[in-house]
Amino acid sequence: MDTLVNVAHGFGVALLPINLLYCFIGVFIGTLVGVLPGIGPISAMSLLLPVTLSGTPESGIIMMAGIYYGSMYGGSTTSILVNIPGEAASVVTCIDGHQMAKQGRAGPALGISAFGSFIAGTFSLVALMLVAPRLANIAIAFGPAEYFSLMVLGLIVLTFLTQGSMPKALLMACIGVVLGLIGLDSITAQPRLTFGRMELIDGIGLVPVVMGLFGVAEVLLNTEQAIKRDIMNAKITQLLPNKADWQASAGPVARGTLLGFLLGILPGGGAVVASFASYALEKRLSKTPEHFGHGAIEGVAGPESANNAAAGGAFIPLMTLGIPPNVVMALLLGAFVIHGLQPGPLLITQNPGLFWGIVASMYIGNVMLLILNLPLIGMWVQLLKLPYNILFPLIILFTILGVYCSSNNVFDVYVMIAFGIIGYFMRKLGFEPAPLVLAFVLGPMMENNLRKSLILSQGDLWTFVQRPISAACLTLALVLLMAPLLPALRKKRELVALDEGA
Amino acid sequence: MNDQTSVKLRLNNSEIWGGLIGLALGGFVIWQGVKLKLGTINDPGSGYVLFYTGILMCVFAVSIIISAIAEGGPTLASRWDNVSWSKPLLVIVCLTAFSFALEPLGFLLSSIPLMLLLLRLIDPVRWTLAIPIAALVPLGMWWVLKRLLLIQLPSGLFGIG
Repeated sequence: MDTLVNVAHGFGVALLPINLLYCFIGVFIGTLVGVLPGIGPISAMSLLLPVTLSGTPESGIIMMAGIYYGSMYGGSTTSILVNIPGEAASVVTCIDGHQMAKQGRAGPALGISAFGSFIAGTFSLVALMLVAPRLANIAIAFGPAEYFSLMVLGLIVLTFLTQGSMPKALLMACIGVVLGLIGLDSITAQPRLTFGRMELIDGIGLVPVVMGLFGVAEVLLNTEQAIKRDIMNAKITQLLPNKADWQASAGPVARGTLLGFLLGILPGGGAVVASFASYALEKRLSKTPEHFGHGAIEGVAGPESANNAAAGGAFIPLMTLGIPPNVVMALLLGAFVIHGLQPGPLLITQNPGLFWGIVASMYIGNVMLLILNLPLIGMWVQLLKLPYNILFPLIILFTILGVYCSSNNVFDVYVMIAFGIIGYFMRKLGFEPAPLVLAFVLGPMMENNLRKSLILSQGDLWTFVQRPISAACLTLALVLLMAPLLPALRKKRELVALDEGA
Repeated sequence: MNDQTSVKLRLNNSEIWGGLIGLALGGFVIWQGVKLKLGTINDPGSGYVLFYTGILMCVFAVSIIISAIAEGGPTLASRWDNVSWSKPLLVIVCLTAFSFALEPLGFLLSSIPLMLLLLRLIDPVRWTLAIPIAALVPLGMWWVLKRLLLIQLPSGLFGIG
């Protein structure tokens, strides 16, 4: 009953005209960046982080959330029609989605992708509503040791899932922690790694780091090779899947939704790993696995449902524990902090309007996305024809402006350019930036909780093992660290490895 | 992988270079941690986490180097095989020049040439399209930010913008 009252309260907030407008802007931009290859939700959210300052916290966060789940919808359009993933979570959709389009079944592929995403998105919201308040009650009992261990686990999971060698991912995570510690020490107020520069006293901003590593570096990588676009020129008809399509897709949508939601909750997981896992699961369960890769609708329905369900599930650790499970959620945490809010166990009780308003806006956003992605599909197809040689200078200009506006400081533009160049060389040498960014956000929190735990326990390291939740997290982290040493597990890791952490 | 270095310990093995850079960074972080004072385990100092993170960095970097020596790895040159390396280099040069010009010239006088260079140098857009885009987009953005959102962009020594 309480939940229904809270949902009604949430809809009261979400249906305010200004919040509806921000929700629409968010899902529209999300679809746009999902459709356009070369710019993802991370770049778009960093770019628009300063814009959230101009409105209420509800409006800003509703918009940012809309960009995230909107990009999950939009990404499939590019995968199906162009065979280029609009964003990382839609990589798997290319395999069967584009084959369906080649066979003249682009309509049903887009249709099942949108409906599957809608069903999964709605399910994950209901689950978010039911799980988050209960988890928040448990999280009140968390002490610094639990928080520290949970963050360690999140980082290890992400490094485990990152493409390439694990030592490289771990090295990136360590560099992220060090970068996050630049500035004044929160306990002793001593400047660290500032080299006498006043600009570094407050530390390096999240926006220039993310925009450099993901926005500028991505542009540099894209310019070195001509992006071939094999756009379907045939008119897209019959967007509604037929009875046979629905029968084939019902199971994958249900399984993808459940799997995606569970993987989304896990720290370090997220939409990308959910879509890969769902594809692997459907192929294994299928009576005709040989159809996968040749236009099987199950290969579109499962992963698309999974990535949307994961996008919803990822809000749970952020809203209840204050721990961002992936880079996108780290940016959302940035939006909360900009408004002086701290997500965590007390958020739901202290700011019910904000929490339930965001949840309700996500229902509304899902309906908006269904309308944006089905009847208006022609508009997105036209947009796909925008050449990259015109698009990339615009992306660079927007990143420069986005970074400057976030702090009104030219120094941040230099930082972004520097991280763009570093990010490019890192990617060329096989070092993925996602663990660095997540560690950059978690680093100061980890340090704070570690030092608090040590002070409270008077230097007793057993405190991390004696507390059951902390011990469980550290054990799981240790298992994952050891996993690549075992050949069978190493093979499994390579199968699910991702190229982005978001 | 056919571009792997055949002789294990070769200096053009890119993995070794990645590891060496990591090792140098780890050493630097350890040094900074010590400089900032480690404190004690009962009362960790400002350099405590930095110091141990630096040690972990060195461990992971050494592991990368050992793996590169034992298993070989792609050469530095092979990382840029079959791609046009000059294009990202040009973008980097343009961005570096822009970063030097932004404060003295201001946003408008530095971003219009940057846009024009990016539109014409990398994958040339025809002049009739490049010039209007290079001029109108920064002007439009400047107008929206300055007039509508009241955000002051750098105006440079000439006070333009």
